[in-house]
Amino acid sequence: MILALNAQQQLGQPLVLGIIEGSVYGLIALGLVLLYKSNRIFNFAQAEFGTIAALTAYFAYNGKLFGIPWHMPWLVAVLVGIVLGTLSAVLTERLVIRPLFRQPKVILVVGTVGVLLASIAVEYLVFPTQDTASLPSVTDVGLKDPAFRVGFAAYNVSWEQVLTLVVLIAMALGAVAFFRYSRQGTAILAVSQEPTAAATVGISIGRVSLLTWTLAGFLGSVAGIVSIGGAPLLVPGIMTGTTLVGGITAAVLGGVTSMPGAFLGGLLVGLVHQYTSAFFSFPGAQNVAVGLVLLVVLLAFPKGLLGSET
Amino acid sequence: MTAVSTSTAARMPYRLSGAGVAARGLAYLGLGVVLFLPWFTTDFSKTCSLAVIYALMGLSLNIVVGYTGQLSLGHQGFLGLGALVTANVVFKANLPIWLAMTLGVLAAMAVALVLGLVALRITGLYLSLITLVFGSAITSSLFALATFTDNNSGVKIQRPSYLADNGDWYLVCVAVLLAVFYLDYRLTISKVGRALLALKENERVAEAFGIGVTSYKLIAFALSGAIAGLAGGLYAFRGELYSEKDFQDPNGFTLALLFVVMCVVGGLGNRLGVVVAGLFFGLINELLDDFFYAGWVKPWMHHVPFLSSYYDSDVKASYLASLIGALLLLQTLIFNRGGLGAQLRPLSRWMTGHRFELHDESDAGIAAVEGSSVRA
Repeated sequence: MILALNAQQQLGQPLVLGIIEGSVYGLIALGLVLLYKSNRIFNFAQAEFGTIAALTAYFAYNGKLFGIPWHMPWLVAVLVGIVLGTLSAVLTERLVIRPLFRQPKVILVVGTVGVLLASIAVEYLVFPTQDTASLPSVTDVGLKDPAFRVGFAAYNVSWEQVLTLVVLIAMALGAVAFFRYSRQGTAILAVSQEPTAAATVGISIGRVSLLTWTLAGFLGSVAGIVSIGGAPLLVPGIMTGTTLVGGITAAVLGGVTSMPGAFLGGLLVGLVHQYTSAFFSFPGAQNVAVGLVLLVVLLAFPKGLLGSET
Repeated sequence: MTAVSTSTAARMPYRLSGAGVAARGLAYLGLGVVLFLPWFTTDFSKTCSLAVIYALMGLSLNIVVGYTGQLSLGHQGFLGLGALVTANVVFKANLPIWLAMTLGVLAAMAVALVLGLVALRITGLYLSLITLVFGSAITSSLFALATFTDNNSGVKIQRPSYLADNGDWYLVCVAVLLAVFYLDYRLTISKVGRALLALKENERVAEAFGIGVTSYKLIAFALSGAIAGLAGGLYAFRGELYSEKDFQDPNGFTLALLFVVMCVVGGLGNRLGVVVAGLFFGLINELLDDFFYAGWVKPWMHHVPFLSSYYDSDVKASYLASLIGALLLLQTLIFNRGGLGAQLRPLSRWMTGHRFELHDESDAGIAAVEGSSVRA
C-alpha cells in the first residue's frame, strides 16, 4: 500500500518519533543532571552504564558467558543487568571519583572519560562479541504479540517506545520528588552548594557522593535496558555511540541543574532530530541542527532553558 | 654573607665538561638513529608516520588544553578538515603538494578561529560540550558531502614521485614534528605563551594586567587548528586516501578521546611528554596486533581466558589499546599528576645541558610563570 503522506502526517510523524527518541535522551540527561547537581561535573560514562546493563541482561537471558549457559527468566535477567550497571557506577565512584574528589573539576571529567574508555574495553574482553545479538524486547516476552503495535493516530509506535516514555516520566517525577521531599535529596543539594557547611551539620559527604552515583548508575542502566531492548544489534559502546551526545545536549539545553529541564531538553533534542531528518536530506543534518540549537540556546540563555538554581 | 655566597655558589651556572658534552652528543646521536631506523622499512615506517601524526595532534591539543586550560573534544574535526582540503585540492586542481597542505592548514585554522569565537563567550564544561557537538556535526555533515568524497568512494591521491616511498614520507613527518616542536618551544617562551598561561591561571587577573584576553584566546585556537590541519595533510598523504569514515563517529569520537588521553598522560602543558605519549599511543595499536598474531604468541594466547576473545572479534587491538590508555589515564590522574613529562624531566634537563638531578627544585618549568611577566 502506498502511503500518500498528508500534511498532518508529515508534521505528526516526526512529532511522535521525536518524543520517543527524546525520552531516551531525557533519561540519560536525568542521570547527568543528578551528578551535576552533586559533583558539578559531566559524567561521560553515564550512557555506558546502560550498555553494561543491557549486555549483562542479554547474556543472562540467552547467552553463554564463562562457559555457562545462564538462561535466566527475562525479568530476572533484566534485574541482574540493572544491578550490574548500578554496581559499575558504584565502582566508578569508589575507584575514580573518590580519590579525585578535591581536584579541579576538569580532572574529574577527564577521569570519567577514562572510565568510559575502560568500560568499553572491558565489555569487549568479557562479552564474546561474535554471538551478540539483540536483547528481546518487552514486547517479545511480556506482551503476547510482538507484531502488535499501538495504533495511535495511524503512527507505528511499539509498546517498547511507549514504555520508554512512561519510564522517563516516572523517573523524572521520582527524581523531582526525591530532591524536594526526601532528607537524602536535600543532603545532596546541601553538599553540592557548600560541602564544608554540610559536613559541619553532620552530613557524610562520602555517603552522599556514593548515593548520587548509585542513583545515576540506576538511571543509566534503566535507560540502557529500555532503549536497547529490541534493538537490532547490541555491541559494546552502543549506548555511548547513540545517546551520549544527545543526552549531554539535552541536559545542557534544559539547564544542567534542572530535572524538568532534562526532561524538556531530551524531548527537544529528539524533536529537532526527527524534524530535521524529515525536511532536510544532506548528510549529518541532524547533528548540525542540534549543534546550532545548542549554540543559539547557550548564547542566548547561558544557564539553559530552565536552569535556575546555580 | 656566607649564606649569600653559598647560595650564589649553588646558583653558579653548571659548566659542562668535555666528557659531558660528548655524552650528550652521543645521546642525541642515538636518538637520531632511533628516529631514523624506520626509514629502512616499508610497512613499519607507515605505522611510525601515524605515530608522528598523533604526536602532532598531541601538540595541537596541548595548546588548547595544556596552555589555555579549555577541554576540547572536537579535534578530530580539525585533523579531518586538513586531510579533506589537502586531498581534494590535489585531486581536483592537481596543485603541488606544499600548496595543498598550506591550504589544508589555512582551512583548519579558519574553522578553529570560529570555534575560538565561541570560546570567548562559553567556557569550561560548556565549551567542551560545544567542541564535542562540533566534532560530530562537522564530520557527519561536511565530511560526507559527495563532492568531497569523490561520490563516497574516497579521494585517492598520490605523493609526488620523489616522496613515493613510505620511509621518505615518514622522514617528512618527523621533520614537521621537529619543526612544530621547536615552534611550540618558541611559543612558550614568547609573550604569547606567557599570556596564554596567565589566561589559564585566572582570566580576570590576566585582563587586569593588560592582557588582551580576546586576541590571545583566538591565537591559541588558531595555532591549535593550524597544527591539526598540518597533521591532517600529512595523514591524507600517508594513506594516499581521504576517507570520511576515519573521522566520523564512532571512530572520530574515539580519536577525540584518545587525543585528550595523550595530553593528560603526557602531562598537561608539557610538550615533550605529550609527544612521547602521542608516539606511544600511535604505535601501540599496531604493535599489539603484531604481538597477538606473532607465531609464538598465538598458540597459547588462545587459551588465556579473556584475551582469547581477541581472536574472535573483528575489532582487533583497538579495545586493548584503549584499555591500556584508560588505565594509564586514570593512574596519571590519581597518582602521578605531572604525567610522563614530569617523569622524563630529569632526562630532558640533562639533555639540554643541565645537571642530572632526580629531584630538581630549580624551577617548576612553564607552570611557574606568572601573569605579571606578560606585557600587553
